[in-house]
Amino acid sequence: MKRPAVLLAACLAWAIAAASPAGAAVERKVLRMAFRTAEAGFDPQRVDDRYSVGVCENLYEPLLTYDYLARPVRLVPLVAESVPAPEEGGTRYTFRLRPGILFADDPAFKGNRRELTAHDVDFAIKRFRDPANRSPYAWLFESKIAGLDALAEAARRTGRFDYDARVPGIEVRDRYTVSFKLLEPDYNFLYVMAMPNVVPVAREVIEAYADDTNAHPVGTGPFVLKEWVRRSKIVLERNPLHRGYELDARWADPADAWDRAALEALRGKRLPLLDRVEIDPIEDEQPRFLAFLNREHDLLDEMPFAFIHQALPNGKLAPALARQGVRVFREEQPEVTYDVFNLNDTASGRPNPVGGYAPARVALRRAMVLGYDRDREIAVLRKGQAVAAQTPVPPGVVGYDAAFRTAAQDHDPARAKALLDLFGYVDRDGDGWREQPDGSPLLVEYKYNAGSQENRQLAELWSKSMADVGIRLEAMAVQFVDLLKDKKVGKFVLAGSAWIADYPDAQNFLQLLYGPNAGQSNESGFRLAAYDSLYRRALALPDGPERNALYREMSRLMLAWAPFRLGVHRIFSHLQYPWVKGYKKHPILYTNFKYLDVDLVAQKAAAQ
Amino acid sequence: MTAYVIRRLWQMIPTLAGVILLIFFLFNWVGGDPAQVLAGKISNPEQIANIRKQLGVDQPYWYQLWVFVQQVFTFDFGRSWATNEEVSRILLTRVGPTLTIMVPVLVLETLLAVVFAIMVAYVRGSLTDRTIMVICTTAMSISFLVYIIVGQWFFGFILGWFPVQGWSESTLRNVLNYAPLPIFLAILVGLAPQLRLYRSFFLEEINQDYVRTARAKGLPEKKVMLKHVLRNALIPILTNVGIHLPSVFVGSFLLEVFFSIPGLGREIVTAVNRSDFPVIKAVTVYLAMLTMFVNLLVDVLYKAVDPRVSFK
Amino acid sequence: MSSVTANCAPPAMQESPGLWVLAWRRLRNDRVGMVSLAVVAAYLLMMIASYAGILAGDWNKEKGVSYANPSFLAGAENLEAKEVTQRDFAPKAKPVDLSDIDPLAPRYKEWEERAAKIAVTEVKRAESLPFGGDKWGRDVLAKAVKGSEVSIFVGLTAALFATLIGTILGAMAGYWGGKVNDFLEWFYNIFTSIPYILLILAFAAVFKRGLDTIIVILALTGWTGIYRLVRAEYIKHCGREYVKAAQAIGASHFSRMFVHILPNASHVILVQLSQHVVSFIKAEVILSFLGLGVPVDMVSWGTMLAEAQNELVIGKWWQLFAAGASMAILVTGFSMLTDSLRDALDPKLK
Repeated sequence: MKRPAVLLAACLAWAIAAASPAGAAVERKVLRMAFRTAEAGFDPQRVDDRYSVGVCENLYEPLLTYDYLARPVRLVPLVAESVPAPEEGGTRYTFRLRPGILFADDPAFKGNRRELTAHDVDFAIKRFRDPANRSPYAWLFESKIAGLDALAEAARRTGRFDYDARVPGIEVRDRYTVSFKLLEPDYNFLYVMAMPNVVPVAREVIEAYADDTNAHPVGTGPFVLKEWVRRSKIVLERNPLHRGYELDARWADPADAWDRAALEALRGKRLPLLDRVEIDPIEDEQPRFLAFLNREHDLLDEMPFAFIHQALPNGKLAPALARQGVRVFREEQPEVTYDVFNLNDTASGRPNPVGGYAPARVALRRAMVLGYDRDREIAVLRKGQAVAAQTPVPPGVVGYDAAFRTAAQDHDPARAKALLDLFGYVDRDGDGWREQPDGSPLLVEYKYNAGSQENRQLAELWSKSMADVGIRLEAMAVQFVDLLKDKKVGKFVLAGSAWIADYPDAQNFLQLLYGPNAGQSNESGFRLAAYDSLYRRALALPDGPERNALYREMSRLMLAWAPFRLGVHRIFSHLQYPWVKGYKKHPILYTNFKYLDVDLVAQKAAAQ
Repeated sequence: MTAYVIRRLWQMIPTLAGVILLIFFLFNWVGGDPAQVLAGKISNPEQIANIRKQLGVDQPYWYQLWVFVQQVFTFDFGRSWATNEEVSRILLTRVGPTLTIMVPVLVLETLLAVVFAIMVAYVRGSLTDRTIMVICTTAMSISFLVYIIVGQWFFGFILGWFPVQGWSESTLRNVLNYAPLPIFLAILVGLAPQLRLYRSFFLEEINQDYVRTARAKGLPEKKVMLKHVLRNALIPILTNVGIHLPSVFVGSFLLEVFFSIPGLGREIVTAVNRSDFPVIKAVTVYLAMLTMFVNLLVDVLYKAVDPRVSFK
Repeated sequence: MSSVTANCAPPAMQESPGLWVLAWRRLRNDRVGMVSLAVVAAYLLMMIASYAGILAGDWNKEKGVSYANPSFLAGAENLEAKEVTQRDFAPKAKPVDLSDIDPLAPRYKEWEERAAKIAVTEVKRAESLPFGGDKWGRDVLAKAVKGSEVSIFVGLTAALFATLIGTILGAMAGYWGGKVNDFLEWFYNIFTSIPYILLILAFAAVFKRGLDTIIVILALTGWTGIYRLVRAEYIKHCGREYVKAAQAIGASHFSRMFVHILPNASHVILVQLSQHVVSFIKAEVILSFLGLGVPVDMVSWGTMLAEAQNELVIGKWWQLFAAGASMAILVTGFSMLTDSLRDALDPKLK
């Protein structure tokens, strides 16, 4: 009879489907979490978005990295034996690799164990400049390493990059030693070598997978890519060929509760402890938050701000979450939001009302900055989860001055109005809006990203704030792609922007105002001789009081001439369930899977 | 019949040509510059120019158009500019989840709508009829966005009947676990307009003379409805299903975004936002051809349903 | 003896009422139809009042605290309203002096004097508003009223334009047939083959943002259904006798198309028009969700719903409800009115 068999088959199918994937025979430690933006791929020299790089952090290993617990952040060696000291006045850095580091298994190695060598480092650096890779991080190695620019130029002309050519600035001295010669002193070069996508890769793998390197990442890291459904699921599993780490307790702070918890969970154990990490990219806020509350995920990094009062009413963990033992890690990220004024005389072919360096124009910009209600932005839009920026340099980077405070960017409508009146921006024709000193109408266009609800609300705030001081502001919604282009080529008057640290040095932020960077990262086109000379002097100095004094001067110039309206440094809250152990969010690294542990008993108990 | 089918197939060519031209024109003239999206945080004009060269958009327009036409005939649109994934692979892998949601929605919606419409037509003019119609109209006047926001919060979170979001590799798990809530919400918002439409189809048939004849012959009302009215109303119903069939393959991007379903709808919106032309090209051409084939299929099916229909 | 008197008036000539008069009579008898008409009329009145500034003129004013509670929930805790400042992160040093490098330094003294004379008025914010406040503290009811003005305006205008385009093109295709029909069919096929979302985003990229852009986008993507139906009507009518008669009396093509045939197809067009008003009002919500909605200084149901996306989870349900409900009521009323109108114009379908 067919019926019972069909019924039985259906029951079996049900049972199989209902069985959880990780609860198989072996007790494996699985961590489930969400990313808040989608990933692009995992070829380290070809990606630059936050979570593609975040996954690369676990699949590959750079020469240096940051210590997990040390704050302020501290460079430690990873595949290099030690952190080299700068030689030849900061123009030479020599790295010696640890012998015996193996790449993960891959068919491209034809069944052999593949050891990491200095040639892999050489190959990787060259890949950044190969035009065919169109690497978004090519700028890291532009005008940096002796001879590399010539090779890149030759590749541009001939259409093929010659990886076998010797670059004078990348000396592979022996199997495990590579020495870099820089064109100019650079004391931040070590930070560059700690970036998660400045990592050695195996040439055979790149050549074997040609166009598909994004889907076939092979590195020396503690995890390998097990499964990847684009924009839907990323699964990492422990790399069986990895040598293992141990937690370095040298720079732990015994007074810090998180450090103590991490030491207790991880000390003496062979890391990583996780067997498997399952990641869901979820861009929308409600599902991401609800998935955590529903225990579909074990931790929630960068909790959506919209729900902060659900999770942390009055700054304390909500009772419902506290009862479950959820913990919250609060972090001020090394980033700054700001608005950019276009300082050129014309924008989009028309006269630019906020551009130029004449006192009247400076006054207009300063008045607009004073008129913008930043306090309301923080209180209402950011729900208090932000700190007003005092300088373009955020906390957590070398060169940040915690004692620096300015009043020039505070919300003060009275002073704004007074300044406008003083320099001739008054309402002569009685229409309720101020005109320019020469009588022509004043209209400031603010461009913002149409696709973002948050940006629309910032535009609303700009519109209201300027109306309060009598300046007519028109907010224009622009498609994201067009906004990027418009800002680069100066087709805007005022637009929002943000910058997060590529490496933890103030120079990464101050270069946003360096004259020669106009048309690239200097969106405002700010060119001040005094600022530029200070910047060049600072480049040649290592970290210290002399360089900090220069940074301070540059901040003061920025505040006086107002090419930017400084925004905020956002405070992120990261939530974890109690069965996640060893957690401490690092300001520069994006993920901490290597250092996490999961208490299986507690995790399973909660799933009931 | 064969001559008709062949003639229709021939007519697809100018339409396809028109679609190709329109998309090409839209992208190149009004689309955003993809090189800007792909460039890093810091990039100089040479790097932008290099990216444009790698993508092939620095070539003269006629050459790009020629490449496009070739791609249409070989069904190979290359790789996505943003992720380097093969476009054909993108289409193949994303269509599955979209269909897993949309096919049940279409089938259930049509079935439910037909059944309810017949029932309501049976009791036309009565209080039941009016009440159901008012409920229907109210149901379809609430925005889909509201349904999704409230539905996800209520059924997924408050009641916990379904996961709030997600998708898995196993089709069975998807159908049992992840798909039900999105499908339910889609039917909630889509059932009402179908129900109203089919009710009007049935009523139009009921008022025809042959129905009066059938009743005069002494046939029970139920038989009249099911055997005669339903069969004749099938043509407009079929047309309606046919009109909606192509959009089944596009899916609902709202559902896919809110429920993290890796489907085609979400892919299209992202591709347009990033000016990822290969994906846009492929999806548009694929959908255009699908629409044309579906229309042809529906027309051919007419003949099966109603032998009186003749082809011009 | 009766005699036939001269002033025996002949029975009055009975003029048979036209289509519209009959339709109106039928509509009057339809209770649901009259209620719907009343609802729609009320909304239109509200729209006019809002446009004139009588109602909701101050919708943009921040009368309340952030997420002010509705009056019927006045006592509930409002965490968003408490201004949270991160005292442990703010630096406490003295503000830095810029006078040595500041181009404005020469006029510092003047500036301070002027600033001291300007009074700063503190705005008192209400703790609760009739139906609650949004994130900025704006009255949700006022926003809903103003939003209805914009949304209805967008829906009506876009539907009018779409109907205009669809009717003209459909008339041309149906009337002339042949090459004109082939061309227009080709054009229609192309339009319907391209995914809706693609068309919207493409048009949005061409035109500058603004209210007119949304109307144009909706009209240019929504004319296809009307075109199809009008074309079918014209094909049906073209073979009829009255058209041949019109030709016999020497009516021009234009006259035949729009003076003779059009009135006979007008009931179809009218129903399509009102259906499209509804679907465009709903489409505006989706456009706003995508960020292609009305500009920042305006409010529509779509922008309200887009804002309200994240408010439900934190328990602030009133904006979602207000926008959703006011839209639902209007759309329901409009749809039922459309149905009643169709029944009144074509009673056989009842």
